[in-house]
Amino acid sequence: MSIKTDVIIIGGGATGCGIARDLALRGVHHYLVEKGDFASGATGACHGLLHSGGRYVVNDSEAAHECITENTILRKIAQKCVETTGGLFVRLPGDSKRYRDRFLKGCDEMGIATTVLSPSKALDLVPNLNPAMEEAIAVPDCSIDPFRLCMLNAYTSRHRGGAILTHHEAIEIIKEKGVCVGVKARERLTSQIKEIRARIIINATGAWGDRIARLGGSEVPMTLSKGSLIVSNHRLTNMVINRLRPPSDGDIIVPNEAVCLAGTTSIPIDDPDVLEIDPAEVDIVAGEAEQMIPSFGSTRLIRAYTGVRPLLKASGQDGRSISRGFKIIDHENGMFSILGGKLTTYRLMAEKMVDVIMERFGLKMKCRTAELPLEGQDELSGYPLSKRLSTMDDIICECELVSRNTVEHAINTMGTHYVGDIQHRTRLGMGPCQGGFCTFRALGIMQELGRVSPEVSLKILKEFLQRRFKGIRPALWGDQLREEQLIESIYLGILNMESG
Amino acid sequence: MSSHMHDVVVIGGGMSGLMASIYLAGKGFKTALISRGDPVCCLSTGCIDVLSSRGSNPLDGFGGLPEGHPYRLVGKKGVEDAYKLFKEVMADGSIPYVGTIRKNREILTPIGTFKTTCLVPHTMAASHGCRDEYVHVISFKGIKDFYPSYITSKLKNTGFSLYDAGVSSTLAIAARFEEKGFAEDFALWLAGLELPPGKVALPAVLGLNNPVAVMEAISLRIGREVFEIPTLPPSIPGFRLFRSLKAALQQRGGDVFWGMPISSVERHGRIVEAVTLATSGRATRVQGRVFILATGSFVSGGLFATRDSVHETVFGIPVHVPGPRKDWFRRDFFNAGHPIEEAGIEADASFRPIHGNSTNLFVCGSILAHSEIMKYHCGHGLALATGLKAAKMCERMLA
Repeated sequence: MSIKTDVIIIGGGATGCGIARDLALRGVHHYLVEKGDFASGATGACHGLLHSGGRYVVNDSEAAHECITENTILRKIAQKCVETTGGLFVRLPGDSKRYRDRFLKGCDEMGIATTVLSPSKALDLVPNLNPAMEEAIAVPDCSIDPFRLCMLNAYTSRHRGGAILTHHEAIEIIKEKGVCVGVKARERLTSQIKEIRARIIINATGAWGDRIARLGGSEVPMTLSKGSLIVSNHRLTNMVINRLRPPSDGDIIVPNEAVCLAGTTSIPIDDPDVLEIDPAEVDIVAGEAEQMIPSFGSTRLIRAYTGVRPLLKASGQDGRSISRGFKIIDHENGMFSILGGKLTTYRLMAEKMVDVIMERFGLKMKCRTAELPLEGQDELSGYPLSKRLSTMDDIICECELVSRNTVEHAINTMGTHYVGDIQHRTRLGMGPCQGGFCTFRALGIMQELGRVSPEVSLKILKEFLQRRFKGIRPALWGDQLREEQLIESIYLGILNMESG
Repeated sequence: MSSHMHDVVVIGGGMSGLMASIYLAGKGFKTALISRGDPVCCLSTGCIDVLSSRGSNPLDGFGGLPEGHPYRLVGKKGVEDAYKLFKEVMADGSIPYVGTIRKNREILTPIGTFKTTCLVPHTMAASHGCRDEYVHVISFKGIKDFYPSYITSKLKNTGFSLYDAGVSSTLAIAARFEEKGFAEDFALWLAGLELPPGKVALPAVLGLNNPVAVMEAISLRIGREVFEIPTLPPSIPGFRLFRSLKAALQQRGGDVFWGMPISSVERHGRIVEAVTLATSGRATRVQGRVFILATGSFVSGGLFATRDSVHETVFGIPVHVPGPRKDWFRRDFFNAGHPIEEAGIEADASFRPIHGNSTNLFVCGSILAHSEIMKYHCGHGLALATGLKAAKMCERMLA
C-alpha cells in the first residue's frame, strides 16, 4: 500500500526542513524522509554560525547580501535558537591592512554595521583574545543551533499536516514512463519499507545530492569538500571570532552553549559516507585558533567532527542559477535538486524552491516564512542550565546534568529507539566524556522501558562507541586521552565487550 | 617546612606503589608512600588480571610476550613471589582473594559476558562456573549502572528480581549494607522469593568494609551461593582492594602522605635527595635514600600527552613514545591495545630508568614502557609483580 502526497522532500537538513515549513505555511501537503536524525549532514556538522555576511564582502558580494538579509530575518523569527553574540573580525600582526580597508568598504556597501575597536576595547569584550592584535571590527554575527532550527521548522510542518520521517532512507525512486512518481523509504532499524507517491520530488540531500539524483536517472555535478572542526571543553569567548584576512583554514571560532567550535579545513573528498579526520587537520585548526585566542592551545578538546560542503561544479549547463551560493536544478522528470548554499541562507533557499513548486502547481500563495516567527520555540527551547540545576537528583549524564526524568521523558514522548535522538534533544553525552558513561545508562533505560530489546540495545551501544571514537581519536592528548583510556578500560576491560 | 627522613620514598599510591611499600615496610625499612589521591584501582573490578589474553595458565603466556615487556624483566618467579605476598596480605585483611596464579578463571560481567581474570575477591568466587547453573540476578531499584536484562537475555538459565534500597548509586547502596539491620532485611526478602536451586548474583554493593561477612550471612540465610558482579566506576570492589592494601601498609608502619602532589624535586648530582609536597598549609619535604616512581600511566597522571609528545610528570624522565600522534590510536575502538599503550619509561633489569640520570630512582607499574595492559589484560598483575621486584632491587641498594 502506498502513501499519497503532493511533494516528497528527501533530506532533513536545514534546507529540507525549511522547505517543509514553507510548504506547510502555503498549504501544500508533503512528506519529508531523512535517513538519519535531523541535521545529520552538513547542517549539523558546520560551525553553527549565523553569518553577518562579513566573511563574504570582499570576494562574493551577492552571498554577503543574502547573509545580512537572512541574518536580520532569522534573528527576528528564530529568537530561541539564535544567540545574538555579535562577532569580531580580528586583525593580527602581519594581516593585511589593505584587506581590512576593503572589508570595511564592502560592509558599508552591503549595509553590514561595523564598529572598529582598539585592542583594549576588544579585550574588554573578549578577555581571552590575543592581546597582540592590531584591532578588531565588530559585526552582527550570531551563533545558531542548527539542530534546533531543523526541529522548529519540522514542528510547523508536523502541526500543519506534513509528515516527517526521520531514520528513513530513500532507497529507490519510483518511476513511471520516465517520470519520478514516488520514493521507497526504508526504516533504518526495522528495515520496513514505505512507498510514498507524490507529484514532485525534491532532492535536498546536500553531499548525497548526486546519489539521489542518480536514483531518479539524472545526475548533478558536484565537488565535495570536507571541513573539519574541533570542540573545546570551555566557552572561551562569548562572541564569534573571525580572522580578518581572506578566507582560509582555521579562521573562525564560534561559542555554542557551554563550548566553543573552531574550524575549518577544506579538503576534497570522493564519498560523503567515508569521512575521516586526520590528526593533522586538528593541529591546523587548533594552531590557528590559538593565534586568535591563545588559551585555545591549553584547553581540553573534547572531539573533532567533519562535514561535507556540497559545492556545485562551476558549469551551469542546466537549470537556472539563483545565485552563486545555491542552485535549483529541474531534472525535468518530476524531480528537482536544490544544492549548495549555506545554513544562514536556508530559508531563502526554501522560499525559492517552494516558489518553483507553486508555479508548477499553478498556485498563488505567497511565502510567509520571513514574517512568521518559528512556531514551537517555547516548547522546544532546549534545556537551559537553570532547568537542569533545579532537578539534581538521579543524574544520568554528569557532564551535562541530564536527569533520569528528562531521559525517560524524551524516550517516551518520541517513542524513539535511537540513542542519537536522545542525545540531540537532551544534551546527554555532549560533555567531556562524550557519552562514555551515560550512553550505557540511556540505553539501559530505553531497554527497561521496552523500546528496544537488550540485544539490540547492546548493538546500538557498540555502534555508538565506534562512532564516538571516530570523533575523539584525531584530538586525543592531554586530559581527553586520560579519559579515553578510562572509557576503554570500562568497555574492553570491565564489560569485556570485545567478545560480546 | 616540615621535614621527614625515610629509607625509601614511594611516589604513587596505586597497586604497584602499595605493593612496593608494603614489602619494604614489612622488611623494617622506614617507608613513605606519597599519593596525589585515591588510585585508579578504585575504578577497577578489584580482580587481579595476570595475563588474561594468553590461554588458561597465565604463566604459560609469558614466552609470547614481546622482548621489552615488563613481565620479561620480572620473570615467572617474580610473578609468583608477588602472588604469594599479595594473597598473604589480603588474607590478613577482611577480603581474602581466591584463585591460583597457574589458572585463569571467569567472572560474569554486567552485560552477561564473561571476563577472564586470575585472582578474585572472595565475594566473586562463586561467579566462576556459573554458566552451568541457574543464576538469579538481583538488581536495585533506580540503579543506573546495572541493567540485569543484559545478563538474563544472554544467559538462558537466569532470572531476576528488583530490590528497593531507597537509594540508587552503587556507593550509596553499599553504604546501606553497612547499616544495622539492612542486610538482614535484604536476606529475609531474598529468602521470601523462593528461588529455584542455583546461585544468586548481584552488583558489587555488599558493603564497604566487610563484604565477605555480609555475603556469608545472606548465603547462609537463603542456602545458596551468592556472588558479586563488578560494576562500572566508581567500583566498590576496587575501592575495597585499595583500602585493604593501604591498611596493610599502615599496619607495617609505613607513613602515608595522601592528597598531596609533588611540587619540586631536590637532587645532588645523580642522587635524588628529597621531594617537596604542595599542601594547603606549610610545605612538606620528604627525604629518602632511595625513591620508587609508581605514578602509573595516563589515567592516573604519571604520563601526560601533549599534542606531539609524552612527558613523565614528576622527574621529567625521557619517555618512550610509539611514533607520531597520528599513530597513537588505531581506528577501531574494539581493537584493544592501541600503540600509545607502549608509551612509558624504559627500565633496565634493576628496574631503574635506562634514560634517567639518577642512580637511586626505581620505577614500577604501568608507567613502564611496553606494558600494554589493555592489550594483554595484565594490569594489576603487572603492577604487583613489578612493584615487588622494584622493591627488592631497592632493598639490595639499602642493605
